[in-house]
Amino acid sequence: MAASARRKQLQATVLYPLDWLEERSGLVGAVRYFLFRKVPGDTNWFHTLGSATLTAFLVQAITGVILAMYYKPDPNSAYESIQHISNDVWGGWLVRGMHRWGASVFIILMFFHMARVFLFGAYKYPRELNWIIGVLLLTLGMLEGFTGYLLPWDETAYWATVVGININGTAPFLGPWLSSILNGGASIGADTLSRFYSLHMLVLPGAIFGLIGLHLYLVIRLGVTSPPWSKEAAGADWLPEPEEPKPPRTGLVQPVPRGK
Amino acid sequence: MESQQGDRPELPRPTLWPVGFAVGVVCALVGFVVSWPAVAVGGAIMVVFGALWTRDVAGARRRAASAAAVPPTETAPPIPAHRGGAAMAPPAPGERFPRSKFLEGATLGIGAIIGGAVTVPAVGFMIVPPFLKQGKKEVDVGPISDYPEGEFVITTFLLDPKEGEVSRRTAYIRNNGFLRNLPSFTVISNRCAHLGCPVQPGGLIQDSKAKTEHTAHGEEVTLIPVLGVSSFTCPCHGGAYDPEGNHTAGPPVRGLDRYEFSIRRGRLYLGKTFSVKRVVGTGADAKIHRYNLRAPGEHVGDWESWLYPLYPPH
Amino acid sequence: MANRKLEERRAGFQRYKRDVKERGKPFYPFAMFHDTVMSFVVVIVIIALACIWKWTTTDHGLGAGWLGPLYADKADPGTTSFVPRPDWYFYFLFYLLRIFKWPDSVILGTVGIPTVLILLLFALPFLDVRRERRLVRRPVAVIGAVLVAISMGVLTYKGAVAKEAIASEIKALVPSWTKKQNLPSNAVPGANIFSQVGCLNCHTYLGAGSSNLGAPDLTAEGSKNKGIQFQIDHLKCPSCVNPGSPMPSFAALGEDNLRKLATFLEASKGGK
Repeated sequence: MAASARRKQLQATVLYPLDWLEERSGLVGAVRYFLFRKVPGDTNWFHTLGSATLTAFLVQAITGVILAMYYKPDPNSAYESIQHISNDVWGGWLVRGMHRWGASVFIILMFFHMARVFLFGAYKYPRELNWIIGVLLLTLGMLEGFTGYLLPWDETAYWATVVGININGTAPFLGPWLSSILNGGASIGADTLSRFYSLHMLVLPGAIFGLIGLHLYLVIRLGVTSPPWSKEAAGADWLPEPEEPKPPRTGLVQPVPRGK
Repeated sequence: MESQQGDRPELPRPTLWPVGFAVGVVCALVGFVVSWPAVAVGGAIMVVFGALWTRDVAGARRRAASAAAVPPTETAPPIPAHRGGAAMAPPAPGERFPRSKFLEGATLGIGAIIGGAVTVPAVGFMIVPPFLKQGKKEVDVGPISDYPEGEFVITTFLLDPKEGEVSRRTAYIRNNGFLRNLPSFTVISNRCAHLGCPVQPGGLIQDSKAKTEHTAHGEEVTLIPVLGVSSFTCPCHGGAYDPEGNHTAGPPVRGLDRYEFSIRRGRLYLGKTFSVKRVVGTGADAKIHRYNLRAPGEHVGDWESWLYPLYPPH
Repeated sequence: MANRKLEERRAGFQRYKRDVKERGKPFYPFAMFHDTVMSFVVVIVIIALACIWKWTTTDHGLGAGWLGPLYADKADPGTTSFVPRPDWYFYFLFYLLRIFKWPDSVILGTVGIPTVLILLLFALPFLDVRRERRLVRRPVAVIGAVLVAISMGVLTYKGAVAKEAIASEIKALVPSWTKKQNLPSNAVPGANIFSQVGCLNCHTYLGAGSSNLGAPDLTAEGSKNKGIQFQIDHLKCPSCVNPGSPMPSFAALGEDNLRKLATFLEASKGGK
């Protein structure tokens, strides 16, 4: 179908800003590479756990940023600000609920994703570095959960944090120093809440975002593994080389060519 | 600027006159806010340095025009791409301390200083304060007449009124009567020595006899007597202690911490907290094996205490 | 030799890249479609959980609905009646602390075992260097994964149901005890005392409490017909009646309360 002149003009109008951006930054090409790169044809639903984890984390990031606009990180007003968010602010109950349950979903998905990668053997050469980054992300994610748990400043929050910091304090040699630093003093005080807030909002998310970027870069660079049980697993040296395609049958009926 | 560099290989000489000019501008602007004489001073500096700068630039232009006829200087030989070390120009013959090495050292050195100047205060700000000024003052917990002899009283008080509610603590206080003409009290902290959970008294809590006292500064102290305390138990992991705070069951690694106490004008004051390995005997006759305050979970007085050799100042 | 293994790995990776180039499909829209659907499910689940949490709580958020209350009480560092628990995904570590009951071993449960496990996780690609990925040929990996999953599940479950005898919760059980044991009205004051002075820290009774230090279950204590005076003497001095008994003395409760306790114990004939 011949493209009409008008259609061509429309295409040119749409493409012009993209070309402008591409010439000056190379970004459009990078996005195209990410979208249209080849992945093994037998990727299945198990492979969605990684991006699902990323989605859960983004939900946490967005709801967290919005909650931070109403939350007050001071022992005298933290609890009341959460009640204010839940009861008075429009949509506050939903954002708070999403953040609280999003944390659980995020951690469950991380464990499932880790189990999938383990069972697929996707931590082996050349993806060892990616596995290590992933375990780091798991640790940081659970630390996010731990630091965030203190912020509502209710009984469960306070005492779970007392025990958690004391657990750190039992580590040999440096334990007592580490628990003093986390406490912001000899025991939990007002500084502890600010400290945990800073860790939860700035330090840990910054580290997690950076590591996720690295994690995704490696996934794109090194590729996604096929399921190990697949008959067409990419790179599988246990499968026989694909045989020569059979010549088409003679006769009246032409077989439909296989594979698209 | 680009055409200038393209046409004239010789760039203007570096000059400090713009700095003086900038100082003059700053002085004048500050003077607008602070005082008028400063404006005059700033204006004078601007004029002087501006004139010098203009003269320099004009002179450089004239010199560059006359130097255009000079042939371009010889360029360095091409550097092999795969050898990073040779990417810097090799030293000229006779140079013992090439300029490139100096620049390299200066860049890294100044970079290190910048890094240190930013990081050390910031990280120190995070790490050092938890170890400073951790001592605390005495806490008034009411007249000693409020403490019946032989019975434990659940006493709730503010450890540091400046910090507010977050410093609220509970202690189990028992009046032991007299020891050699001096009143004796057993003051046991309610934080479990395993991991810090709040320990519960195993006795009949008599809420109907609860009392509220006030300190000299008006803070509230609540006193609730408990009848027949036979043990203290911890709801987290099943730790248990006897009425002297000795560990009897479960994971706690030592006995319950205690407070020092003093009595002034008939009122009981709680002082420093200290850790206890174990207590021999009961009540006023108890011999307490005491140690400096340790955080929950840390051993004292046995072989595992060597795991914590250096203790943060508290 | 190591060089040959390295060469094999590199060749394998080259084969992988060639296979993907020849037979692979573009990420968009094939794989990205799956990702989008799954992400959609995730977002819906999070929103649904938030809504259920909000809509099933009672009593303006203080009552627990299907997913727990919206609020606990405000933090009170001086409380004597709260039972601390971490968030559910830490239950397996929490239960580990309950398993290591011996004071000398506490440090194993707090930092020893978790640190070793996380180091093993980090080191996994260097511990398993075989190129084999098929599950049937990786028995150690598969069995290891199944065992880890099961043990974490069991530890998490046990952490969730772990209970300690806490006075305010047990006191609420007294009415049900009265019904189950058909307690006469003169035994009820003793039941209240029994629930508060810490007996259930070592004894069990009608399924409540914990079993510590060899303390017997007291549900059918009355059917042994030891008599009220025996009970009072035992409570005053357990080790006089039972030499070697670790049970502390409850004499401080006073004669009156001891008599009430004894009456309750003698009336506990075992639930029907």
